Amino acid sequence: MAKSKKEIISIKSISKIYHLGTNVVKALDDVSVNIYENDFISIMGPSGSGKSTLMNIIGCLDVPTKGTYKFNKALISEMNDSQLANIRNEKIGFVFQTFNLLPKLNALQNVEVPLIYSSLNRTKRTQRAKEALKIVGLEDRMTHKPNELSGGQRQRVAIARALVNKPSIILADEPTGNLDSKSGLEILKFFDQLHKAGNTLIVVTHEKSIAKRAKRRVELFDGKITLDE
Amino acid sequence: MNNILKNILIGLGAIRSNITRVALTSLGLTIGIFTVSIVTAGASSIDKEFAKSMDYYGNDKIYVSTWPWSFDFDWWKYRNRPKIEEDYLDYINQSSQYVTDVSIKKSTWIRSSYQNKASWLQVNGVYPSYGEMLSGTEVTNGRFFSENEWVLQRRVVIVGGTVRDGFFDGEDPIGKKIKIGSVTFEVIGELKKQGMGMVPGGTIDNLVIMPSSTFKRILTRWGFDELILKTEPENLYKAKEEVGMIMRVARKLRPDQEDDFAVNSADAYQSQFDSIKIAIAGMAFMVTGISLVVSAIGIMNVMFVSVRERTKEIGLRKAMGATNNDILVQFLSEAVIISIIGGTIGIGLVKLVTVVLSSSLATTNGINFPIDFDLLLIFYTFIICLFIGVTSGILPARTAANLHPIDALRHE
Repeated sequence: MAKSKKEIISIKSISKIYHLGTNVVKALDDVSVNIYENDFISIMGPSGSGKSTLMNIIGCLDVPTKGTYKFNKALISEMNDSQLANIRNEKIGFVFQTFNLLPKLNALQNVEVPLIYSSLNRTKRTQRAKEALKIVGLEDRMTHKPNELSGGQRQRVAIARALVNKPSIILADEPTGNLDSKSGLEILKFFDQLHKAGNTLIVVTHEKSIAKRAKRRVELFDGKITLDE
Repeated sequence: MNNILKNILIGLGAIRSNITRVALTSLGLTIGIFTVSIVTAGASSIDKEFAKSMDYYGNDKIYVSTWPWSFDFDWWKYRNRPKIEEDYLDYINQSSQYVTDVSIKKSTWIRSSYQNKASWLQVNGVYPSYGEMLSGTEVTNGRFFSENEWVLQRRVVIVGGTVRDGFFDGEDPIGKKIKIGSVTFEVIGELKKQGMGMVPGGTIDNLVIMPSSTFKRILTRWGFDELILKTEPENLYKAKEEVGMIMRVARKLRPDQEDDFAVNSADAYQSQFDSIKIAIAGMAFMVTGISLVVSAIGIMNVMFVSVRERTKEIGLRKAMGATNNDILVQFLSEAVIISIIGGTIGIGLVKLVTVVLSSSLATTNGINFPIDFDLLLIFYTFIICLFIGVTSGILPARTAANLHPIDALRHE
């Protein structure tokens, strides 16, 4: 762990408790983890281990029940919905297993979605979205709708969308889960490139091959971190 | 502001991609707005026409005749009443303290012609004083007949606007000779055109006016006689009461006998018209109110479906940084836009119908029945649409805005 790097995320003793009827589910139990600039972390664990919950909290889609979560030294666990939305917009790029592209929009418009909620004007939005699509090598597919693209291309559009706001971290949830092995490999190589270019990546995965590519592995079991190396 | 605009544009984009559904949803409101506008426009036009007719009768005139101005005719009863005599006028003139001027009005319908054009016209024989008693119109060309012409029983007439148009086709009618029955008359004046009236006989466009002396001697002894009495508007009710008493004396009625004449004035029509108007308006607004509520429910339903269908999109947008307000504005603007589309089509239809109706009425019947179509109507429609859009959209939009991003993203 390169401790000399700038700390982006500091998570201290967080717990997340869900009440499902009379049952109390501890999805995360006293988890602490720090994430630094240019980290490439894989989060692994069996189903129900709490990795998605941790991912949601890191992604500011949810707040912990207990503990503190600081993003760039700002206390996330006490922020309201609008402030969280702002952090998600400016600091975090999401890549989902099912791509989550809007089917009625073309590639360029899909990449523009996060920028709509920023303060950029239309010309700058389009320019930034085009640049992001160029990075993922899809400059010739800008006007294609998702159903006119292959699985690998769709995921690359999703990555372009995650990159477009120049976020502090990129969160990928099973990014190759819906892809064939060839397309999956393409995406992984792309992640390597992003890491080399200085981006911070957090990938939630089941696959050991992906975890091996990461520079740091975090494993969860029953809501607790069992490995961080 | 910029943010709101961006979210409205997203809403507009969603509408564009679901055009059939939007069209069907807004159809309800189109029908609603169409009915409301037609009813409002029709009512205000009827009101205006009625006011014009009331102008003709004037708020300062009393009409004494055998027939009351009423919609519940007891035909035989009134038909058999003794004739109204011209002599009563002298009696009224002498006895009344409120009546300031009087005239007889003898009327009949006679086939009249000018060159090769012929038509049935209402012919009125009046006193010279009637020229001063005209209301709602005036002599715009030429002059009214004089005292001398009345005494000498001259064959002179003043023509109404429709007669002028029908006979003279835009030419100056003054000095022209028309035939009324078999007698030739010279046109000496022309009255300003009034348009169609809303009450029986409430028009002076399709008539000619001549000295009552000429009427009686040359035309016919069988005209329908009516007394026209002028008073001050503020004395109208007192004058009516007084004239009623004078008439009873003139008719030699015993105290136990009921009136065999009617003292009429414009306000009799006004109150009847008001009650009919309220009944029609009440019915119309109930029907249109229901159609607007139904269309609002339709929009709400479609918006709920839309939120459900696009739950994942909402989750995604929130993950990308959309705030609750962004989502609220997006869905609310969608509902308002659907509503405004419906309203705009409705207003367009109203415009189309008014143009067609006005022109077809004008060409087929030669009458002018304008339906009001003004900016105020458009403004009110816009306000109604805005209101319906917001009320029907707020609940679905709030539901969308309050969705938790994780739950929304997991939605299948």
